[in-house]
Amino acid sequence: MPRMKPSQRIYAWFEQRLQLEGPIADAAFHPVPRTTASWFYVFGSAAFTLFLLQVVTGILLALVYVPSAGEAWNSLNVLNHQIPLGWYLRALHGWGSNFMVAIVFIHMTQVFLFGAYKYPRELTWTFGVFLLILTLGMAFTGQVLRFDQDAYWGLGIGVSMVSRVPLIGGGLVHILLGGPIIAGATLARFFDLHVFVIPGLLLGFALLHIWMVLKLGVNEWPMPGRLVRRSTYVAEYNRLAHEDGIPFLPGAFWKDLAFSAAIVAAVAVCAYFFGPSGPGGPPDPAIIQTNPKPDFPFLWIFSILAYLPPALETPVILIAPILALLALFAVPFVAGEGEKSWTRRPVAVLAVALIAVAWGEFTQLAGTTPWSPHMEAWSSDPIPVHYLRNATPLVRQGANVFQEKQCRNCHSIGGLGGQRGPALDDVATRMTRDQMRFKVVTGGGNMPAFGKDLSPAEIEALVAYLSTLHPANERPAYTPSRPYTDTGSPAATPPPAASGSTP
Amino acid sequence: MRPAMRPGTRLWTHFAMRLVALLAAAPLALLGGCHSAPGYPPQSEGPPSSITDFATLYSQNCAACHGRNGQDGPALDLNNPEYLALVDDASLRKWTAEGVAGTEMPAFAESSGGMLTSAQIDALVAGMRKAWAKPNAFAGAAPPPYAQAKSGDPHRGEQAYKASCAGCHQNSPDEQITNSAYLALVSDQGLRTITIAGRPDIAQPDWRHDAPGGKLTTPLTAADVNDIVAYLGSLRNPVALTQAPAQAVDQPAVSKKRQTLSASRAVGGSN
Ligand code: HEC
Ligand code: HEC
Ligand code: HEC
Repeated sequence: MPRMKPSQRIYAWFEQRLQLEGPIADAAFHPVPRTTASWFYVFGSAAFTLFLLQVVTGILLALVYVPSAGEAWNSLNVLNHQIPLGWYLRALHGWGSNFMVAIVFIHMTQVFLFGAYKYPRELTWTFGVFLLILTLGMAFTGQVLRFDQDAYWGLGIGVSMVSRVPLIGGGLVHILLGGPIIAGATLARFFDLHVFVIPGLLLGFALLHIWMVLKLGVNEWPMPGRLVRRSTYVAEYNRLAHEDGIPFLPGAFWKDLAFSAAIVAAVAVCAYFFGPSGPGGPPDPAIIQTNPKPDFPFLWIFSILAYLPPALETPVILIAPILALLALFAVPFVAGEGEKSWTRRPVAVLAVALIAVAWGEFTQLAGTTPWSPHMEAWSSDPIPVHYLRNATPLVRQGANVFQEKQCRNCHSIGGLGGQRGPALDDVATRMTRDQMRFKVVTGGGNMPAFGKDLSPAEIEALVAYLSTLHPANERPAYTPSRPYTDTGSPAATPPPAASGSTP
Repeated sequence: MRPAMRPGTRLWTHFAMRLVALLAAAPLALLGGCHSAPGYPPQSEGPPSSITDFATLYSQNCAACHGRNGQDGPALDLNNPEYLALVDDASLRKWTAEGVAGTEMPAFAESSGGMLTSAQIDALVAGMRKAWAKPNAFAGAAPPPYAQAKSGDPHRGEQAYKASCAGCHQNSPDEQITNSAYLALVSDQGLRTITIAGRPDIAQPDWRHDAPGGKLTTPLTAADVNDIVAYLGSLRNPVALTQAPAQAVDQPAVSKKRQTLSASRAVGGSN
């Protein structure tokens, strides 16, 4: 045996006992079909890289974060403002999370469209679905740890969903919250989930997932017409890998590395430019002037809940997620063989497109929440000055009534105000005074009835104001007989030509 | 078959190298100007009750009715130096905290069912003075007292109204300040305030300028103002139109908090 350098001797000492060299070299240099060295195949490794980034930044955050109801919110503010680069650390972790959720979804879509879940990779896909659930679990529990208003209300909504489970709902809520209400014990539980339980499972599943990718080989580039058959696939794949193959390292791996680096850089840049999220206002159920929203990955759920008719809420909330998960798990078992190429799988492509569009639309809607009243509009949103330029004293009072009765919270004027009801800038062109009076008094169609809340004078003023809301060049709607039947009364409707101001 | 990517690879490498350079530059930029980074978070907002900045308080709570900068809203202009010279702090505070019963001016103090703490009300009162009051707003003239006396004479008031006001206020009945529905919604104090301090934003003159064109004339006396307000008050239709505002006096200034809550309930639980 030739003399070895000391470093080689140390290496040999360990290798003799660990015997890792063989498996690692196998994994690194195993041949893969040349076509797998594609830029489309980099998302899985990027997701894992992001997970590692989350672990590192998470460990650092936990040095300062205090998981107690009284301290959590403060400790985030300390991180933001008192610890050098503490804010940047939070921003990295937060953006890392957004990117990880996004990349996991992209990875899944790519795998689905490339048919990579088909025989023999069914279990890889199944574990992938678990990884998706766990990643979303991390995002949700992480949001709770912020323990600000958004977290508080997001958790409240989550809990009210769980509580709808028949029979055991109450018990589940108790287990989740560590009591009947959101309190210190709740935070402790979510901290546990977020730093021990879910990351542990995530790591375990991820390693198994990667193990299977190495063992079964990276999916070959799907060719239209090359069908997967259980009897022949493995042999065909091996032929591809050996006859027109390249070693996984560096053949395909350098692209994974480059993409992961780019993604980490993108996280760093986003963190630098957009900063951490929150913490928003302190969590306090007594504060009702809030507009809480869940984090990005859950916005779409928020929209769907807002649009569900109450009667459908419970069934949809309880059944839809189960069906969706079952569908995901079933994919490789229902379609384990056959065509891989998306060019020959129109249903798959349409399904992906439909889900993507729906998701985008619901997420976008959650950004503007047109369904919820703007709680401060009544006292904060000024009326465009020119709307009141030729107003009579009664019209000005009508505008005061409109604000004071919080009509503005649901109805916008001049682009400001809620969007729950129609904008009223030109309501006078589509409703006569009588119709307006009727609508205000009796409500209907999500418009509350204000009859009991308004004095006759208030109604008079309100209608006077509403009937000035029409473009200058358009006559307001009117009932032709009105001027003749009403001549005596002091608040008579003037013929439209003479009425009020023109915004 | 191979996906066509060879020609793109050079571009990608180029791109990747740029990103790596950016990545290396980011920490340097951070070390340089940490607090000036675009992403550096603002101070976390406390609970809403911790806001005491006048501009924020005013724009969140008052701007809708009193106008964006205290003018041009439907309700009287608080940004009127003559008004601020006329009114005392105690009254300003009282109206803001407790509202004006029977009118659309709501109560804002927590103690009256509103959302503002007493420190916030103080900040509003002090802020209005600081932002909008001017020294010597009356140029030496002494206005009639701010508060309305109980003992106005409506008959004398009618004469004074014809002499001083009708010249400008002679439109059709609907458009006049004598419209009973309008009068049912304003308080005597509100009428008095406007009569004395005017509303520059809508060209209503102050008590010295009650002549067509807003020209200087013999100023109204304290008695004139009392009487004119008593006269306008007598025009409120006591049966048909004051019913509900009178109710509102019984249960002072309907709790805003309750209203907001019920509005949010009306909208459904999920948001
Ligand atoms: C909780 C939200 C809400 C509030 C508060 C509210 N509205 Fe509405 N309003 C609606 C909705 C929703 C509609 C549409 C109803 C329908 O489908 O017919 C509507 C319709 C109307 C319409 C008919 C508009 C049209 O073009 O058809 C008028 C007029 C109106 N509201 C006036 C008022 C006034 C005045 C107030 C205050 C006294 C008020 N609303 C308060 C929700 C609201
Ligand atoms: C120089 C003309 C002029 C004179 C004189 C005048 N006003 Fe006015 N007043 C106006 C104008 C202009 C407006 C705004 C348009 C409107 O509301 O009709 C107005 C509006 C008002 C308003 C309604 C303010 C609001 O907030 O809606 C009141 C109250 C009022 N005047 C009272 C009086 C009284 C009382 C007198 C007599 C002491 C008087 N005015 C004399 C021009 C005048
Ligand atoms: C919903 C509309 C509305 C809002 C919001 C509102 N006001 Fe008023 N305010 C009025 C009306 C209308 C009056 C006139 C009441 C009357 O007739 O005396 C008034 C009167 C007042 C007065 C008394 C004027 C006088 O006669 O001396 C003060 C002071 C005042 N408001 C301050 C405020 C402040 C400060 C805020 C914000 C915290 C505010 N208001 C918000 C409608 C409003």
